[in-house]
Amino acid sequence: MSDLEQVLGLQDSAISKHAFSLLRFRNLGENPIYSPGGVLLTTNRCYKTKPTHGIGKYKHLIQVQEAKKKKVKVEVRPINMGTDYEYGVLNIHLTAYDMTLAESYAQYVHKLCNSLSIKVEESFAMPTKTMEVMRLQDQGRKMAVDSVLTTHERVVQISGLSATFAEIFLEILQSNLPEGVSLSVREHSEEDFKGRFKARPELEELLAKLN
Amino acid sequence: MAAPVRATLLGVRAGGWRRCDRLWGGGLGSRCLALQAAPSGSRSPWRLLGALCLQRPPLISKPLTPLQEEMATLLQQIETEKSLYSDHELRALDEAQRLAKKKTDLFDDEQDEKDIMHVQDLEDMWEQTFQQFKLGARVTEADEKNDQTSLHRKLDTNLVLLVREKLGDHDVWLLPQVEWQPGETLRGTAERTLATLSENNMKAKFLGNAPCGYYKFKFPQAMRTESNLGAKVFFFKALLLTGDFSQAGKKSQHVWVSKEELGDYLQPRYLAQVRKFLLDSNGLSCLW
Repeated sequence: MSDLEQVLGLQDSAISKHAFSLLRFRNLGENPIYSPGGVLLTTNRCYKTKPTHGIGKYKHLIQVQEAKKKKVKVEVRPINMGTDYEYGVLNIHLTAYDMTLAESYAQYVHKLCNSLSIKVEESFAMPTKTMEVMRLQDQGRKMAVDSVLTTHERVVQISGLSATFAEIFLEILQSNLPEGVSLSVREHSEEDFKGRFKARPELEELLAKLN
Repeated sequence: MAAPVRATLLGVRAGGWRRCDRLWGGGLGSRCLALQAAPSGSRSPWRLLGALCLQRPPLISKPLTPLQEEMATLLQQIETEKSLYSDHELRALDEAQRLAKKKTDLFDDEQDEKDIMHVQDLEDMWEQTFQQFKLGARVTEADEKNDQTSLHRKLDTNLVLLVREKLGDHDVWLLPQVEWQPGETLRGTAERTLATLSENNMKAKFLGNAPCGYYKFKFPQAMRTESNLGAKVFFFKALLLTGDFSQAGKKSQHVWVSKEELGDYLQPRYLAQVRKFLLDSNGLSCLW
């Protein structure tokens, strides 16, 4: 008690609040550092040695995800492996006026590829095209809207189709085609890839201004 | 489509097929269109033939089985019960309401008579056009006559072309075939078969360069010589696009036949091999 008083320079009977609180803590047997309302700011972190060190950390457990590349590289040349000749990326286009038919057949093709262990890269839809059928009215010169037809297209993109199997695969696709759905199998090309993006009129304007 | 270049051969006997060994040993990445000519000393005793399995794909779909019919009606019912009103139906409801209001109201001043088509008139028009439309016949006259040389028979199954040829002494029905000539691929042989058969009338699409099956047979004892043990026939599948045999031709020499009727025409061993690569339309539904 005496050294504390000396340190704090207490000789007067008027004890400062600061010293009084410290003394009080010390007399009670508590450490002024831990107790709530402790006045001193601590600098030693003793719990680094305890087993609970780093208990709240989780960033090291998450797998680091690379930023998604916007442009996916298109594999243009098919791989040549001796007698097994493989096609590159193929697009199977299914077009129909009836959306449920096109979608259910696209589902069937996807499941078929899964069961035949053909890798399906992507399965997407192309934008719907709407056609208005105008009919010439009887007793009139005007054309009136008769019906509205919507064309739906679904694309299944596959890769790694071997040439020996391609024949059988194509025959299965053709023979199971429902009525009203047309099938087209093409190799993937840059135009196919670019055709999925929306046209950007401002960019085109600026490019035209530059040239 | 980027076509594979080298014809792959199924079921090749290692013994008598030395040409292939040389090819594979030579260059795996080389693009050669023709098989290299083997030295004349080592000729295999088997003759090679390329045959064509020309199929006419079905033009209409098969009728549904009773189970499928029931399922279809049930699903249709569920869909209609769950669905929302379409534009046409909303319009019909509106008009019904308006008519009811008109009958109760004595004044018609609020809404003047518009010259619009009423829903009922539209429906009558559509009904009329529907009555005028005639569906094509599922069972054609060729079916009734059972004329097996015509292409219009059995519109819902695959039809395969069979030709009658003379082998040795007797006539045999088989898939059209032609002997392979050195310097061409086996698929080229099959295409040549098509050209000679139809005199360039028929157009077919070959789906791949690989054969779909093979048949091996040995000549009868009388015909066997040192270098002629027998023959191997490789089948190639093609789908018929357009064209048919010209009428001014040999009659009863060709026949378009479905899978079930093949048994009437082909020899048993030949038939067993051919059956292996003909896809059955019923069996495909299990691939799911």
